[in-house]
Amino acid sequence: MNDADERHAASLEAISVSKSFGGVRALHEASLRAFPGEVHALVGENGAGKSTLIKLLGGRLRADSGVIRHHGAAVALKTPDAAHRLGCWTVFQELTLLSAMSVAENLLLRREPRGAFGLTSERRLRQTAEAVFARFGIHDIDPGALVEDLPLADRQVIEIVRALSHDPDILLLDEPTSALMERETAWLFGEVRRLRDAGRTVVFTSHRWHEIAAIADRITVFRGGRDVGSFTTLGEDEAVTLMTGQRVETLYPPRPAAPASEAALTVADLAGGRLASASFSLHRGEILGVGGLAGHGHRELFLMLFGAMPRKAGRILRAGHEIRPRSPRQAIRAGIALVPEDRKTEGLLLPLSVRDNLTLAVLGRESRLGVLRRRRLRSVAAAMTTRLKVRMPDITSPVAALSGGNQQKILLGRWLLADCAVLLFYDVTRGVDVATKHEIYELMTALARDGRAILYYSSDAEELAHLAHRVLVLREGRIAAELPASGLNAEHIVAAAMRDQAAA
Amino acid sequence: MAPPRRPPLAHALARHLGLVLVSVLLAVSVIGYCALYLATQARLPGMFELTSSLNNTMPLALAALAQTMVVLTRGLDLSIGGIIDLSNALAALYLGTTAASMALASALILLAGAVLGLVNGALVAYGRLQPILVTLATLAIFQGLAIRVLPQPGGAVPEAYTALLVNTGAPYALVYVLALMLFWTVLRRSQVGIALLAIGDDEAAAAANGIDPVATKLVAYTLSGLIAAAAGLFLAAQATAGDATTGNGYTLTSIVAVVLGGVSLFGGRGSGIGAILGAFVTTMIVNILFFAHIDPLYQSFYEGAFLVIAVVLAEGLGRLVRRRRARA
Amino acid sequence: MSGGGKRRRVLPGLSPTGRRVLYAYAATVLLFLLGGLVRPGFIQATNVLTILTVAMFVGLVAAGQSFVILIGGIDLSVPWVLNAAAILLTTSSGGENARAAAALALTLGMGALVGVANGIGVAVLGVPAVVMTLAMNGIMEGLTLGLSGGMTCSACASYAPPLVQGLAHGSLLGVPAPLWLWLAVIGLVSFLLQATVFGRATYAIGTNLRASELAGLRVRATVIALYGLSGVTAALAGIMLVGFGGQASLGMGEPYLFQSIAAVVIGGASILGGRGHYLGAVAGAICLVTLISVLLAMNMAEYGRSIIYGVIILVLLLLYGREARES
Repeated sequence: MNDADERHAASLEAISVSKSFGGVRALHEASLRAFPGEVHALVGENGAGKSTLIKLLGGRLRADSGVIRHHGAAVALKTPDAAHRLGCWTVFQELTLLSAMSVAENLLLRREPRGAFGLTSERRLRQTAEAVFARFGIHDIDPGALVEDLPLADRQVIEIVRALSHDPDILLLDEPTSALMERETAWLFGEVRRLRDAGRTVVFTSHRWHEIAAIADRITVFRGGRDVGSFTTLGEDEAVTLMTGQRVETLYPPRPAAPASEAALTVADLAGGRLASASFSLHRGEILGVGGLAGHGHRELFLMLFGAMPRKAGRILRAGHEIRPRSPRQAIRAGIALVPEDRKTEGLLLPLSVRDNLTLAVLGRESRLGVLRRRRLRSVAAAMTTRLKVRMPDITSPVAALSGGNQQKILLGRWLLADCAVLLFYDVTRGVDVATKHEIYELMTALARDGRAILYYSSDAEELAHLAHRVLVLREGRIAAELPASGLNAEHIVAAAMRDQAAA
Repeated sequence: MAPPRRPPLAHALARHLGLVLVSVLLAVSVIGYCALYLATQARLPGMFELTSSLNNTMPLALAALAQTMVVLTRGLDLSIGGIIDLSNALAALYLGTTAASMALASALILLAGAVLGLVNGALVAYGRLQPILVTLATLAIFQGLAIRVLPQPGGAVPEAYTALLVNTGAPYALVYVLALMLFWTVLRRSQVGIALLAIGDDEAAAAANGIDPVATKLVAYTLSGLIAAAAGLFLAAQATAGDATTGNGYTLTSIVAVVLGGVSLFGGRGSGIGAILGAFVTTMIVNILFFAHIDPLYQSFYEGAFLVIAVVLAEGLGRLVRRRRARA
Repeated sequence: MSGGGKRRRVLPGLSPTGRRVLYAYAATVLLFLLGGLVRPGFIQATNVLTILTVAMFVGLVAAGQSFVILIGGIDLSVPWVLNAAAILLTTSSGGENARAAAALALTLGMGALVGVANGIGVAVLGVPAVVMTLAMNGIMEGLTLGLSGGMTCSACASYAPPLVQGLAHGSLLGVPAPLWLWLAVIGLVSFLLQATVFGRATYAIGTNLRASELAGLRVRATVIALYGLSGVTAALAGIMLVGFGGQASLGMGEPYLFQSIAAVVIGGASILGGRGHYLGAVAGAICLVTLISVLLAMNMAEYGRSIIYGVIILVLLLLYGREARES
């Protein structure tokens, strides 16, 4: 097939598209060509431009320059509707469900079944939604429920079903699996294969290589806002080299030496929210992994240890002394720090400077009678940025101007400055690119070697298997299994998390 | 595995919690009012009391509905009082005496209100300015215009007009209240109403679903201006004369009614019916204070205290219901 | 928008907030010049000092309003806190110097207490700031009217103690005493916001409340303290106003709600919190009061002043808004 034929056959093409945000180039003359009957994976680090390209193709953003073609004809995708009219539907990375509305209203938004006078009704909506779900084999989501009452995985499924229900000719999925568990991912891939076999086009992005390997017919690699190659077969190592422009020798650093026997944190019968009861000890120098399916009490465990959520029952001992943290402030006093999942909304103050962000937790210490010792604040912040090798224009530049990995370092640096001995890491690598992940792993193991105790929840079982000394698997609010490091692999963690569900 | 489904009633209760609470609040305050009335007057309130309560509340009910349109989009309309002022002043001067002139003038005044609302909407939507600041500025402008139109209280509203809008003989105003509720119900189930709630819920998400935030905001503020102008007409009919400052208090009381009615100031949640009921709760409280022989000088104190208590209780109840649902 | 990548930067090297503060001062100077054209004598020292003194009343209220707007809140209870303070001062002192100190303490304490109640409502009970302070305004109105019997009480006719009146009318080194007081307030507020843990926490909370809480800042205490400070500055404004005018009256606080918010916004603060400076609000207050004086000098009718007022705020908002989008 020659080049002209191929272009003719492509269902969706982006040709040399560029897009900048306030002087920052997100896409620079990037191209993508997707064909009917193929599953096309977009891979690349965060900030490589994948999401921006998907937004351009989905009509959310308009390109500064370049052409988008649909079956060979140039099209202007000014609005999401314009894309929809071409049969092109998108599941964006940030979910677009309306949280105060019901599942049915969301699923059928702007195509509500209408009766007399063009008006809709809740009953009608529910019934239609039920039918739509049934068509895609989804039976465990209540169409009448409010979206805000549902776990993230269900919301992602609703979003996917909404796109599927339009019978898309082209389906764009931006990191659809990051919130999904094994079972739902399998369901999604089934639907994706069905579309492909019907001659449709599916474009998707993921940071999980085994998913890409499992389903992609073609892989286009993005780096620094442009495509650097399109392949029908590509190995993970090659892909990482292409994505990062360098070779990441080994993703996972060696596990630190066995921890001390001294307990830094002991938890007894802790309960609250979805956490029914948890007891364990975390030792100095230990990376204690926490695994299991989302919504089984992990979040509650971390928030309660950090004083950010009231405890219903249980005791917490910090280095042998009982503590009752009733606020993050008190937890920090006791030397406990939380690195939250969403650094942009729960961690950093984006418009404020690197210095202000770093020193936020030590303002009390670095002041006299409430008056800031500004020179000292500046010097401790500067020392920390040097220690963590933070790449930034200046210590007074806003954190928003830093790359994701460097932002994550600032957040870690805050707790290092506060000298917290117990670090709670809550899914800090979710949706983070490979190079940054590597940096975070290195930091984490360095901290453990340093004698700090790390409690580490991750939605990626692979990570836990490589980094943790032990892994606790939470299921239905209880510790269902404690897996030692020797012989640990991701399958064990997943199996322990799912055991009962498989039996039911 | 049987699909987990809650009965539709449970969903309805969760979705319309604000509406349920304000209904209970209204029922309680009506009962309290009747009890007090019985204790002091040795009889139950009758048709006259019903009629005057309805008539007195109509302007506030309209102002509350106007405020709801904007609050649902996560805005706040401080200029409602100014639009009421202007509409009131215009009505006192230009209604005329014939049926035709009254109808024409009313229509033009409503149109003027809609245009002023549109100006607010354009500034908010195209200028991408904070609603509270925009409407604070336009409030000053609208109040200025109203005083320009009617420097001194005066003018006249024809008797026939008063008889139509504020009939003191029978509770005809009930028809208007029901019409407003019907208007809301229709709106809520139409594309426009869904768009209003959607952009208040999450503007970016709504836009990703193809809902145009700019157009939706223009509609919201235009409707707000139109309904506020109607409130000015009712107020003029009631007073049988005009006053260019009579609407000033309605900016804040409309917010009170909306909040009592369970409409979230953070947008995306609430019902126009709730806001209308909230307006009636406000009236009932004034009535109760009157019959409880509370010194009228203290009236604002009790209203303020009541507002805080009501909001705190509603918040607590909402949290309780939410927790129970999460556990179940 | 138009013009593509080439963006004309006015006054490079200044933050957007800093630039807005400068705009507000520049506008004030322009207004003074305009006033001088309309009425010779407008820019004489005595007139300028009078305008500044009047601006101080707005500026004091705007200090408190700045505090709460910096955390994305708002204080609608200002009018009746101010009014209550004025009446409390005169009635509790009975116009006697001997009781002035106690009356001042009582009045400022009342302001702090009301503000703290607002803060507890917002930070602990979770009531939206608009609702809480609106309700508080009603509560204070009702209490003031009720306790004073609608200003018919025997003590209600009292004047402010001569000491307080002296403070409002006196002068030092040719500068009216109220302006010295204002300078002190400016220094204190700027110090609080820029140089203390409290100030840093204020900006942090205004930027992102949840993240501030998770960073271990005392969010609730800070929010309560900020509303408390707003109550204090409103009370202080009431004291100065009654000292200036001699007697308290009902409704004397009404203009200060609109003007304090306008001053803060003209001064470049973001109503969403996290950005702004009291020096901006000071500029905004002076700018606003100068504008009113110029319009009065032009014999502009009340309605005209009101309209121009609104238009100017809209124009400034559009200007600032455009700038924010460009940067």
